[in-house]
Amino acid sequence: MTHGRLSPSLRQRLLFLLAGNFLLLVGIAITMKQGGSFAEVLTRCGPNVAPVVLAGLGMTGIICTGAIDLSIASIIVVSGTVFGILVQRQWPPLLCFVACIGTALLLSAANGLLIRKLRLPAIIITLAGLALYRGVALVLADVSIPGFGGSIDIQRDEYHAPGKQFATLILLGTLGSALIWEWFAVTPRRWLALGSSEESCRLAGLNPHAIRQSAFVVGGLFLGIAAVIYVTQIQFIEPARLALGFELQVIGAVILGGTNIFGGEGSYAGTALGALFLYFTGQWMTYAGVSPYFQEAITGALIIGVIGLDCALHRKRKRMEELA
Amino acid sequence: MRHWLLPLILLAEIAFFTALSGQSFSSTADAVSYFRSYFADLLCQSAPVLLIAFGMTIVLMTAGIDLSVGSMVALVACVMASFPAGPEFWWTAVPLGLALVLLLGATNGALIAWLDVPPIITTLGTMILYRGLCFVVMGDLEKSPFLSVPGYEWLGQVSGAALLLIFTFGLAGFWLKRSRWLREILMLGGNPIAARYAGIPVSRRLIQTYGIVGLLAFLAALTFTARNSSVSASSLTGLELQVIVAVVLGGTRVQGGAGSMLGTFYGVLIIAVMDEGLRGAAQWGSRNLPFKISHLEYILLGMLLIAGVWLNTRERSTAKTPPSK
Repeated sequence: MTHGRLSPSLRQRLLFLLAGNFLLLVGIAITMKQGGSFAEVLTRCGPNVAPVVLAGLGMTGIICTGAIDLSIASIIVVSGTVFGILVQRQWPPLLCFVACIGTALLLSAANGLLIRKLRLPAIIITLAGLALYRGVALVLADVSIPGFGGSIDIQRDEYHAPGKQFATLILLGTLGSALIWEWFAVTPRRWLALGSSEESCRLAGLNPHAIRQSAFVVGGLFLGIAAVIYVTQIQFIEPARLALGFELQVIGAVILGGTNIFGGEGSYAGTALGALFLYFTGQWMTYAGVSPYFQEAITGALIIGVIGLDCALHRKRKRMEELA
Repeated sequence: MRHWLLPLILLAEIAFFTALSGQSFSSTADAVSYFRSYFADLLCQSAPVLLIAFGMTIVLMTAGIDLSVGSMVALVACVMASFPAGPEFWWTAVPLGLALVLLLGATNGALIAWLDVPPIITTLGTMILYRGLCFVVMGDLEKSPFLSVPGYEWLGQVSGAALLLIFTFGLAGFWLKRSRWLREILMLGGNPIAARYAGIPVSRRLIQTYGIVGLLAFLAALTFTARNSSVSASSLTGLELQVIVAVVLGGTRVQGGAGSMLGTFYGVLIIAVMDEGLRGAAQWGSRNLPFKISHLEYILLGMLLIAGVWLNTRERSTAKTPPSK
């Protein structure tokens, strides 16, 4: 969603994050103990950061339209459960992956459809989805696996391929196509238009409801790819505990990347950089020997700090707009 | 929402789950004693959620949201748990906890009011921050000094919980309903710019609102620890969603400018009754269903939320409600 000139605030945020990521990498290189390899930090980065970045791309589009999706973690759970059930039934790997992506796409589209048909705020529908989909996953697992004990064991290596071998490749491929698509296509710009002003959107002859739904469909596709990588990285799929709190991690990365939480502004590049920033922060704290108990607190303070600073810098301009 | 709909749902729910649990009554006195202990349990169990939901209702009225409540309650409980038990607990841990939680709430408010950070982002950040602080304070331990404090247990019993609830929902709720303060809150939720032009001190009101949530979080921490006796750094994760679902179900609009304390009260109880009822129906479920009946809770919660809000907005379809966000 960077078509044309980037807005000054978005450009400022991107530069800030680039510099921040660079500094963090330098920090990691300095604090790294003897024997640690810097190349390994970089190669491990891809698989670790891929689910957040990919789900974040979808979330960016949704937030740009002024909506939000709180149910993504639960959607991943349903996708993962479907995947697990099919693996148990010895379906070929490729089919399992496709089913996983398809489930996420379907549920995300269902979110969009519900918002469109019931005319309810996205935050309500997806808050309901957060509870509902996890319940669906649990019931699904109970019904389709005889003697289901709480987790599905994925043993054979070929089912772990996307998460363990090809994660970086999938990430770079998807991110690259997303950036190109964002630059040239008209749909992302419609999302921004909708997020800026629904009223003007309608007056200009666009259908706001259809545009919002398209953001959910595209978001579902990204989320599906994220889900495949997420669930193929782990050995046990536990529907009751899988991906708890993932939605907050993703929303954190998206808003850190400069996407306006009220819509109308945002970029895929920012989201990717935001996710990297959070990841490198964690890595750096680990290498610097920060106690794991402190890491969560520091991450929270960092999110508030970065966004608080940014909001404070734009406060005067916002007040002037308000008065105008 | 029609004012009789929520109590009706609640009654229907209680009747349904009582029937499902296989409880049979031989006499009226039997039924009375059963329902007396049922309601006493229900009230004690949901006291923390009820208290927090009261604050969340005010926050949603300002068009804000507070995702940090679960972490806030957990943090104050963790800090209080680090003090030695004994009578001195009352004048060391308790006042300190109160001061801390007011500070936490006011921090949320100050970030929102002074730095213009949107509430959902601020409280998302502080939710992670406060939860992180819980781990800093507690590590992996689980501490339980509370029941060794003389008189503390009372807070978790019916009389204690009922007193706190009467105080908040009864007295404070009654006062608020007529107060100028709440009108100002509703106005700033409906249109913050108009509120500013009307001379309402918007920043101060916002900080007060989030401070009140802090105060209620403190009370919730008291009732929670008195009933559950122990606390760990990961206690009460997910409380915020439970509370928000209950408040929204009670008819408060997430876009701000409207809300009802009584609706919130019913909303919390509807969810608590369902939760308790599904637990009671476990035996029936294991005989008749191919899945664990407790899993239905998530599904029912989601459907209840959508149905409740949908009915709520249909009622007000004449008023213009923006569908986004």
